[in-house]
Amino acid sequence: MASISSSYNPREIDNTEDMPGRRAPLITGNQTYTSVTEMVCRVAEDPQPRLWWILFGMASLTASMFLMLIGFLIYKGVGIWGNSSPVFWAWPIVNFVFWVGIGHAGTLISAILFLFRQNWRTSINRAAEAMTIFAVICAGIYPGIHVGRAWLAFWLLPYPSLNLWMWPQFRSPLLWDVFAVGTYASTSLVFWYMGMIPDLATYRDRSKSPFRRFIYGLLCLGWTGSSRHWLVYEKAYTLLAALAAPLVLSVHTVVSFDFAVSQLPGWHTTIFPPYFVAGAIFSGFAMVVTLLVPMRAIYKLENLITLRHLDNMNKIILATGSLVGLAYGTEFFMAWYSQNQYESFTFINRAFGPYWWAYWIMVTCNVISPQLFWFKWMRTNVVAMWIVSIFVNIGMWFERFVITVTSLSRDFLPSSWGYYRPTLFDGLMFFGSFGVFMTLFLLFCRYLPTIAISEVKGVMSASDHAGHLEAEVLAELQGKDPKHAGHAH
Amino acid sequence: MSSKYDLESIELPVTWKRLKPIFFAAGLILLAGGAFLSLFARGADGSTDSAFKFFMHSYLANFMFVMTIALGALFFILIQFVSRAGWSTSIRRIAELIMTTIPFLALMFIPIIAILFANYSAPYEWNVPAEVHSSVVKAKIDIGYLTKEWFSIRAVSYFVLWIAMAFYFFGHSRKQDETGDVEHSLARQKWAGPCIMIFALSVSFAAFDWVMSIDADWFSTIFGVYVFAAGMMAFFATTILISMALQNAGKLQSFVNVEHFHDMGKFMFGFIMFWSYIAFSQLLLYWYGNIPEETFWYQVRLQDGWQYLAYGLIPLHFAIPFLGTLSRHVRRHRLGLTFWAAWALAVHWLDMTFLVMPNAGAPSFMPIVGHLLGGIGMLLVFLSFFLVRASDVPLVPMKDPRLPEALTYANPLL
Amino acid sequence: MNNNEHNVKSNKEPRPPKACGWMAEFENEHDLLHAAEKVRDAGYTKTDAFTPFPVHGIDHALGIKPTILPFIVLCAGLTGLCTALLMQWWMNGVDYKYIISGKPFGITPASIPVSFELTILFSAFTSVLGMLALNGLPKFSNPVFTNAKFDRATNDRFFLYVDATDKYYNRESVKELLSSVHANSLDEVIEDSTPSELPRWILLGALLIVLAGLIPAAIVLNMRASFSDLPRWHVFFDMDFQPKKKPQQTTTIFKDGRTMRPQVPGTISRGQLDQQDPFYLGYDPLKVKTTSIDGEKQIYVSTGDSVANVSAISPAVQPPAGTPASGTPASGTPASGTPASGATPALPFLEKLPIEANEENIKLGKAKYEIYCSACHGYSGFGDGLVSKRAASLAQDTWTPPSSLHLDRIQKQPVGQIFHTISKGQGKMASYASSITPQERWSIVLYVRALQRSRNANIEDVPVDQRGSLTAPAPSQTK
Repeated sequence: MASISSSYNPREIDNTEDMPGRRAPLITGNQTYTSVTEMVCRVAEDPQPRLWWILFGMASLTASMFLMLIGFLIYKGVGIWGNSSPVFWAWPIVNFVFWVGIGHAGTLISAILFLFRQNWRTSINRAAEAMTIFAVICAGIYPGIHVGRAWLAFWLLPYPSLNLWMWPQFRSPLLWDVFAVGTYASTSLVFWYMGMIPDLATYRDRSKSPFRRFIYGLLCLGWTGSSRHWLVYEKAYTLLAALAAPLVLSVHTVVSFDFAVSQLPGWHTTIFPPYFVAGAIFSGFAMVVTLLVPMRAIYKLENLITLRHLDNMNKIILATGSLVGLAYGTEFFMAWYSQNQYESFTFINRAFGPYWWAYWIMVTCNVISPQLFWFKWMRTNVVAMWIVSIFVNIGMWFERFVITVTSLSRDFLPSSWGYYRPTLFDGLMFFGSFGVFMTLFLLFCRYLPTIAISEVKGVMSASDHAGHLEAEVLAELQGKDPKHAGHAH
Repeated sequence: MSSKYDLESIELPVTWKRLKPIFFAAGLILLAGGAFLSLFARGADGSTDSAFKFFMHSYLANFMFVMTIALGALFFILIQFVSRAGWSTSIRRIAELIMTTIPFLALMFIPIIAILFANYSAPYEWNVPAEVHSSVVKAKIDIGYLTKEWFSIRAVSYFVLWIAMAFYFFGHSRKQDETGDVEHSLARQKWAGPCIMIFALSVSFAAFDWVMSIDADWFSTIFGVYVFAAGMMAFFATTILISMALQNAGKLQSFVNVEHFHDMGKFMFGFIMFWSYIAFSQLLLYWYGNIPEETFWYQVRLQDGWQYLAYGLIPLHFAIPFLGTLSRHVRRHRLGLTFWAAWALAVHWLDMTFLVMPNAGAPSFMPIVGHLLGGIGMLLVFLSFFLVRASDVPLVPMKDPRLPEALTYANPLL
Repeated sequence: MNNNEHNVKSNKEPRPPKACGWMAEFENEHDLLHAAEKVRDAGYTKTDAFTPFPVHGIDHALGIKPTILPFIVLCAGLTGLCTALLMQWWMNGVDYKYIISGKPFGITPASIPVSFELTILFSAFTSVLGMLALNGLPKFSNPVFTNAKFDRATNDRFFLYVDATDKYYNRESVKELLSSVHANSLDEVIEDSTPSELPRWILLGALLIVLAGLIPAAIVLNMRASFSDLPRWHVFFDMDFQPKKKPQQTTTIFKDGRTMRPQVPGTISRGQLDQQDPFYLGYDPLKVKTTSIDGEKQIYVSTGDSVANVSAISPAVQPPAGTPASGTPASGTPASGTPASGATPALPFLEKLPIEANEENIKLGKAKYEIYCSACHGYSGFGDGLVSKRAASLAQDTWTPPSSLHLDRIQKQPVGQIFHTISKGQGKMASYASSITPQERWSIVLYVRALQRSRNANIEDVPVDQRGSLTAPAPSQTK
């Protein structure tokens, strides 16, 4: 392991410089295996800080309000929302796509970055995966309650019903969504859980109270850390990563199909699948930054979730934000190039029509604000990145609003045009879904390993090993005796 | 210098250097032979005009076949620096050499510009407004987008941007060969991000201009991504084949190992999947939307015998190579990987044929043979460009500070 | 032999904890790897290492074989793919065909997303469950858990273990071997002597929870299988009692007090053109007006200026498609005996043929007349068809002889009424609507008119150039 002065202050050490030929340490502060375990387990073992209780109180109250509103909605009907002709798909689907999009970062980090051997993922993947699952839960609520008779939402599933004697309509993209989001939620859940098994065993083995030991013992399924188990486990993890990587792409692709298979100008365009996926990753990473910046401060995890991790995430936000901008531009260009009057009208209407404010909020937050991340001081300043990440979250919500509402409010027949206005219930229920999300996330911090302890240790070991090997090869390339070089390093 | 990392092993084999003029001449002869078959041996049904149209489409398809490979190499170099990758250092020079063939390929594009200025309507029907019947295409000409002047200015600017980026990166790489200075890596890292944005924009628009505007009525926003995905797959296939060939000639033995082949195999596999994803997305949205303005592009490709190619791409470009390269044992097997890389390169040619050729009308036997000869000829010309670039340049950036990482990393999973 | 010794030693103690093997503790993974290699080279195969993270190279150092998990997952993925394709093909292409935006049934590009998702779903769950199965997890009782020292295997220590069941196992020599590899410490692993069954209270608790969980399901099942006199629960009042009017209810909004509104005159329902067009009816339905007085349905025939009350019929009989008010009694009196229907126009029958009187239609009418009508009415329309003659010869009084088409009253009938008679029947005559198309019926009417004319014609009706042939003797007459 790279040794750094023991009088370490996380604010002073910069591991964001990665000089070619010498990888900067992924975790700072002269960590050992023991200290990593200590740092992560402390989060769940120590009494929670007062801030946790304040946040949890607020979040659970908001979540309760949300649940009561859902009850009222089911009792009263979807008429309490602002959905009305011609905008029948309004905030509920905007919120659904918003939350599903956020739910893309976790599995992306754990699967795609794993396949690309991006070792820095190990410090953030657990929290991001948890966030993914909670976001998908929030997302799943919206179509569930939007079906009108929410207690019959299970009719979406292809089960042999004795009452209906019929099957779902598999040529509908909405049903693809049921399968895509269902598969994504369950696969993400088992991926997350499987990743946690070794860490839950660590929690078990450190437990002082028998009850705690019993619960964590049950949850970790009797994990021992046996090498024979590890071997199968790693294989399974790799396979899951390889399966989850296309799955991540497919989920938002299918969500984009909900819109794009229609013939509505502004929806029916072939760039939608990759564009939605880029937007989802964009918003997901923004939400990870929004959550991890306070989390690492509250739980003193700056040595594990270092500036380098945040820097990397901000680079991904910049890249995906620019991709999204490229897609906006491509759409506009094609609307002009196609010389199709409906397409042209739709895009001009988006930018300069009645919803111009939503469009320009979207462009400002999604395309312009991440461009600040070209500057390194922005990428490594926690306050600045936190603010930008919030802007990105807002912008991505407005992106879905713009896509859904501007296209629907302008029908082919001008006599059917309308202007959508949300009601108080729309707003309160969207706000309430954040309560559910935050409640679950705070409970996760309280009870489950927030950082993949075993993976961090694995990376520590591997980078140590790689350092020795590289020093030997370097010496050999320079014509020195490799045996001495390896130890000199 | 130890004998393991021998300087001799990073030079182009002497026999290969001699191949430069042979490849170039053979390539030109094949191109000319292909042109002859297309132009003069067309069946009784073909008029001179349609024969010429067929030949121009064939040339464009074969040009795109090699151009996309070079663009894939450029993107590969950019993404290696943006992600600060270490694993690829020992194969990076091969990609750099492929990338620096872009100036030569720009020369190969001159015939297309020349044809435009000679007022031919092939391969771009919009070039002769008098012959255009579609009001949409007329509108596109009227707004000044599809005109030969504008088209040429755009084409020149794409090439200028690509050549500038390629030589900026290649230049730093060569300077580092001499000094070993880390600054050269840092400079490339710094500019890789903005360059990727320029690349994304220019490749999208080049795809719209060069390939999509053949069918000037039609549009698809995903088209640039489609061409990019196809090119990346072909680039990895080409790099695998060149590295394999160099190793078989006794070079790069200790620089490129099974881990690099495994990784390139994974990327090739990944882009086979990505291409399928993009191609399917476009197909599904247009099939489902079922709007005549959009579906006719597929209709053209599903008639006159082209349907065998269109349907054939599903197994050839997706199902078979997908299953073939699914196993890590295949990707780590020299012969297996070589086979699938060659396969990928061949289907990339079919893919470019699928994009360009059906607009030239019904195929007949001799012109198709001519098209195939032209494809082989273009590949040979492209290889001769590569050999020209590779002749005086070491095949590994020996002083790159990340070379030790590339030589030691392992690929234990997947 | 060593086992033997071990057993002897065990027998001396009252409850001897059985030793399972030796466990050596190491500070870091490098020491562990060196030790593992030594143990492997000594020939031991029943070995294992316990580490806080996967140590790379340990599989080689311990001689662990690769897992077959990828193959299992591949099979599961293919199963998922086939399941999805079969499911979609059968559900939407075979069992429940349902047209949606003109898309074909069965497997189409639209089947790909669900197929992809199920492939991933099956593979992903197989990866996890397969991992657990291959590792024998969950397993809550393990000798490794007996020593608190081993808890650091999930934290920061590395353990190497040699199992007593190894065929080369010798307690002393293994101990000696592990002592020579710079282990931090060396312990004998003892069997987990705690009872392996679950505590009684957990079982009881689990049982109670399961039983309690069954209660709602049981209630639902019971309610589904039983009947109740109680009115149903209204949970969603807004849905059950919506502020809207349903059919067959009353309202104060309309003068007639009905929620259902009658159709606007001239409305033609889809597929019911034959009930609205004079061509199919023989009369003009727009001129028929009905109203209801004291439950009696009155039919009024609008003749443009004035409205005449035609008849009062019972509401059970549907006007105007029902029989016109012919007043024919079912007593068996011949239809010709009641002249009422012939005299009064019961319905606003068409006076003019809606088809052209050309040779083609005459020929069609003749052909159809001879097929369908001539059996009773006779070839010339005198009511002397073969059936009629035969019936007359049988002399049974149930037979109503068919009318002669040359009767004055029939000659005076408008063409629409003849059409209507063919369509609806008259007296004993059945409806021919199902056998003869409207076009053919009109042709028959045309032919009947021609027959009638032929009985009342004079020489002026014959074209001038053919009058000569009438004066010449006819071939049949010469014969």
